[in-house]
Amino acid sequence: MTLDQTPQSKPIIQVRNVRRSFRSPKKEEGLKGTLKLLVKPEVQEHEALKGVSFDIEAGSFIGLIGANGAGKTTLLKILSGLIPPTSGEAVVLGQDPFKRSMNFRHSIALVMGQKAQLWWDLPAVDAFELLKAIYDIPEDTYRERLNTLAELLDVKRLLNTQIRRLSLGERMKMELIGALIHWPKVIFLDEPTIGLDVLAAHKLREFLREFNRREKATIILTSHNMDDIERLCSRVLIIKQGQLIFDGEPKKLKQSDECQLRVRLVETPSIEELTPLLGLSPTAIAFTGADSDSPTKADDEDTEARSIRMSLRRNQITSTLQSLMSKYTLVDMAIEEQSLEKVIQRLYESES
Amino acid sequence: MNLNLKWRWAALKNGFQDATAYRLEFLFEVLGSALVPAAIQWVLWYAMFKVGGATEVAGMTYADLLQYTWISLMFTQIRGGDHDFELQEMIRSGGLSTYLLRPCGVVEFVWLRGVAPKLFIAGVGLVVGMIIGTAYGLSPVHLAVGMIFAVLGNIIHYQLSASLASVAFWWEEGYSLLMVKNMLVSLLSGELLPLTLFPKNWQWVWENTPFYLFVFAPVQIAQGKWSASQITSHLGIACFWLVIGWSLIRMSWGLGIRRYQSLGG
Repeated sequence: MTLDQTPQSKPIIQVRNVRRSFRSPKKEEGLKGTLKLLVKPEVQEHEALKGVSFDIEAGSFIGLIGANGAGKTTLLKILSGLIPPTSGEAVVLGQDPFKRSMNFRHSIALVMGQKAQLWWDLPAVDAFELLKAIYDIPEDTYRERLNTLAELLDVKRLLNTQIRRLSLGERMKMELIGALIHWPKVIFLDEPTIGLDVLAAHKLREFLREFNRREKATIILTSHNMDDIERLCSRVLIIKQGQLIFDGEPKKLKQSDECQLRVRLVETPSIEELTPLLGLSPTAIAFTGADSDSPTKADDEDTEARSIRMSLRRNQITSTLQSLMSKYTLVDMAIEEQSLEKVIQRLYESES
Repeated sequence: MNLNLKWRWAALKNGFQDATAYRLEFLFEVLGSALVPAAIQWVLWYAMFKVGGATEVAGMTYADLLQYTWISLMFTQIRGGDHDFELQEMIRSGGLSTYLLRPCGVVEFVWLRGVAPKLFIAGVGLVVGMIIGTAYGLSPVHLAVGMIFAVLGNIIHYQLSASLASVAFWWEEGYSLLMVKNMLVSLLSGELLPLTLFPKNWQWVWENTPFYLFVFAPVQIAQGKWSASQITSHLGIACFWLVIGWSLIRMSWGLGIRRYQSLGG
């Protein structure tokens, strides 16, 4: 290993200048493109990661976020040992993940929200029995773990039901049990709450928090759901177009001078009227209510439906209010902390 | 290498449970794949001998050929080769990722899950074959040795298939290779015709491939047509192909896995 390892703080994961590119055939549209691909195939190269570096301490709960195609899943695949980096170095549990030593495989788990790892036609308990044998888990320990996990996730009654007969949320919980039954030290979770309803997502989050607290397992979670990140992660890594653009606590993201100004007006201006008046982009303005983009019926609607939310910097508040009051009548106003989702949306949009 | 026998046994059990999750489908699959080729062969033999008036073809009578057909049914059921497309699709679609992180060999794991129902059929087929066979003068020992050859054939077939499937690491359209392999297996394994029906100067084709070990060799042994020394010599050939298959897997998967892109997710 060539990475720094000081005796006082040994990160469980070390990533240094990791780059990864993929080559894929390029096909032009239509029949002409198909024929061209047959005769003279063209290959395009895409750089998914462009020199990412960070360390992760044991027992941390890390949120890895970024827009679609930012490189999050590629990074998880490198850290779990599925693919090697094109250049740079990744060390997990003191090992090169891509060597996938038996010891390494016993110590990690990867859950991909969009990929089933259990067998569709079998009840979950049959799959867990197989995993017990694969990981060589003693019978008593297996029973104890299965009991704990099934209770925490509230799926005990479903263990003998065929996987394909379960709901998406129940299936996801079973996938998690399958991934954790060997008590891994490092867990990579790729969008585990995708497609889950509010209650199922909440239960899953509670479970992950508890597992991290109890077992001191290091968890790295990717998610587009900012609730997941905000409630679980002590640290957030934001990846944009293959580069790490933020590494820190989620609250630090919100400590920027971004805020949200909420106003109610007697009139109901359209977004087309507001954007030039306030000098804000359309994405920074939102109307609360069902027909939010073009509120037309002002008087007889719920007052909340007429609220306008604007994402702006604190030093823009006065000028924005002045502009609004120059044309409309203000009913009330409030300044709120910016939501993490909005802050991250801004980060994705900036410099793009 | 993980030498733990527990996971291997568990994978066999799991594969059997999975294959028989739908019992009727399993039964129809077995019967369908057995009866269709048998019916085709029977029609062919009937046309040659009863309609065409032949008395012997390549040293085989009508009764010999019928016996060949019925015995070959039993061994064709376990000749394998169903999992090469599955492996190739796993490589192409990224499904392999699920297995790569488990502490067991993915190629062996897929084989064990796939062979489990075949071994069950082999066991049942052997018992039924022994019961019926004794009435027709077949030796239970010969049938059992034939079955051992058929299982060895299943392993060799899977090894070659898994090596061919690894082409998907380099070439996404490698499907066609597996189709060609399957056609060759149908023709050269003896499942459609006894290989002795090949013209004399074409016999070298099947003699120099491992495919005859899948069905033709087990049938010859079961019919008592091979002497002990012939069986031993073909066992040596089977072992040779096992080593070749094992080496091919080690090499092709060892090189290919570095190119795996783990798509999707």
